[in-house]
Amino acid sequence: MRALAANIEEVFREAAARWTLVAYFALSSLFILLFAVAVNLDVVNGALAGAKIFGQSVHMGRQSVDLDTLVLGFESGFAGFLYVVGTFLAIFATAHLVPRLMEKGTVDLYLSRPVGRVPILLSRYAGGMLLSASNVATLLGAMWLLVVWKTHLVHPRFLLAAGLILFGIAALMAFAFLVGTLTSSTAVSIMATFAVFFLSIVLANLHAHTAIFSSAWAVWLVDGLYWAFPKMVEIGRAVVGLVSGENGPIRNRTALSLAPFLSTGLFGLVSLGLACLRFSRKDF
Amino acid sequence: MSAAIEVRGLRKDYRAGLGGREVKALSGIDLAIEPGELFGLLGPNGAGKTTAVKILLGLTHATAGSASLLGKPITDPESRRRVGYLPEGHRFPGYLTARQTLSIFGRMSGVPPRALEPRIEDLLSRLKLSDWVDVKVKKFSKGMTQRLGLAAALVHEPEVLLLDEPTDGVDPVGRREIRDLLKAEAAKGRAILLNSHLLSEIELTCDRVAVLRNGRVAAMGTIEDLTKKGKETGDFSKGYKLAAAPLTEELIADFREKGASPERVNGHLRVLARDAQHLNSLIDAARARGTLLTELTPEKSTLEDVFVDLVKAMEPPQ
Repeated sequence: MRALAANIEEVFREAAARWTLVAYFALSSLFILLFAVAVNLDVVNGALAGAKIFGQSVHMGRQSVDLDTLVLGFESGFAGFLYVVGTFLAIFATAHLVPRLMEKGTVDLYLSRPVGRVPILLSRYAGGMLLSASNVATLLGAMWLLVVWKTHLVHPRFLLAAGLILFGIAALMAFAFLVGTLTSSTAVSIMATFAVFFLSIVLANLHAHTAIFSSAWAVWLVDGLYWAFPKMVEIGRAVVGLVSGENGPIRNRTALSLAPFLSTGLFGLVSLGLACLRFSRKDF
Repeated sequence: MSAAIEVRGLRKDYRAGLGGREVKALSGIDLAIEPGELFGLLGPNGAGKTTAVKILLGLTHATAGSASLLGKPITDPESRRRVGYLPEGHRFPGYLTARQTLSIFGRMSGVPPRALEPRIEDLLSRLKLSDWVDVKVKKFSKGMTQRLGLAAALVHEPEVLLLDEPTDGVDPVGRREIRDLLKAEAAKGRAILLNSHLLSEIELTCDRVAVLRNGRVAAMGTIEDLTKKGKETGDFSKGYKLAAAPLTEELIADFREKGASPERVNGHLRVLARDAQHLNSLIDAARARGTLLTELTPEKSTLEDVFVDLVKAMEPPQ
């Protein structure tokens, strides 16, 4: 356990040294600060009577807007935004973890310790996930506190979105680790993982419109690939659907079903399992 | 007493690239290194030295054979619990300080954090890095990085040390300090396997050596045994460097007649003497001709000579 904790600590020290952590927290803080300073809401009897952004009044029309609906809309939109941005940043910040570990002159230092190869790889994965979790939790938590402070509305579901965002990151990070063990290249790991992300979007759209295909094998191929790839679109919808609840579109709420999560989880587990297998068998 | 490092019939075959030719890196080597022993592993490039060490540490998987460290099979990560390793061309994370490096690698070897701090201070002091404790490793010179590598190999107080070129990039004074440190560690009962190209370092440091050639142990023994001239050929004549003036052709002919096989080498003579009596008869002959002797030195076969002879023996005849 001591050895694994040391490995996780090293992941954080590396992130700090590479400015990944600092840059992310600086950008997050700037965004939160801008939101805190720039947005001023005038709430009367639970409804938004007026709003100012950067000191400029926003025209509200004759009717006051229901504040709860407005805040939920903002929170679900922000959660969706964070899902995409957070996932991209997490992959950028952690894709080097395996290739750097496998560098000649470095890998010997780690593998010569009394720790198995699989625990070494998994501790780096855990380090990467903790790093991503700290980033997502900071931004989501700070934004939630700001919303509570400005509007006095408390929506715990907004915080729960972090779990879904991290689930998507976990599956993609596992794939990045697999590519890292196969190629020892950070650049290839990032590109391949982003390719999976974008392909999953394409596949989700094709899967929803299989009627456009004339041949049965094309439908079979699209369906097969759709279920093999992680469901990044569905998870994104689920993030938004979870936060917006009854107020959001029905397609987001239906995305909160078990099937996309099971297949995405399986994708992550298989990727991580193969990464462990490859790493434990490789000769250095 | 069981050997600290034991290797039996270790073999490693691999393919050079996809569909490439099969390379036999190790063809069944046997080694046994006792606690407290300083053992040198020698061999030309590609002889299999690094492969052998990497197999011992689980970095590379053996094709056949077995090995154990302190009685535990190398397939068990626990076998590395009391083993310190200094790889050649190691690269510590540059963003860590010396203290952080030793702390992280010490904990990875299972040392409790409380026990680490005094150990780190002591090691860095012994390796003359006390003033660099909180400096990032990326600012270290090659010699300093090498000393830090040695500290990282020793931080968990191992019973076995596997060191690949430990004095690489270290200045002569530093090399001597490292030699002294290794001897002190061996005196504590630690088994040390030294893998180096610097034959003089091995000669000055090790008790016993093995020379690897084409993945096999070509020679093994104490330095004294290996450098004993004529051990294998049965020729026990001893060579001497003789400097004298004048070195006339008559004198050389006289020496030849007495069976000394004289050779002119860089202005002096190289002669062979069967024993002390034979040597004295040669000196008498030279003095009788009025030759003034200025130097008479016995030739010593070095480890380098043994190494070169062994490597040349494997080369195909021209």
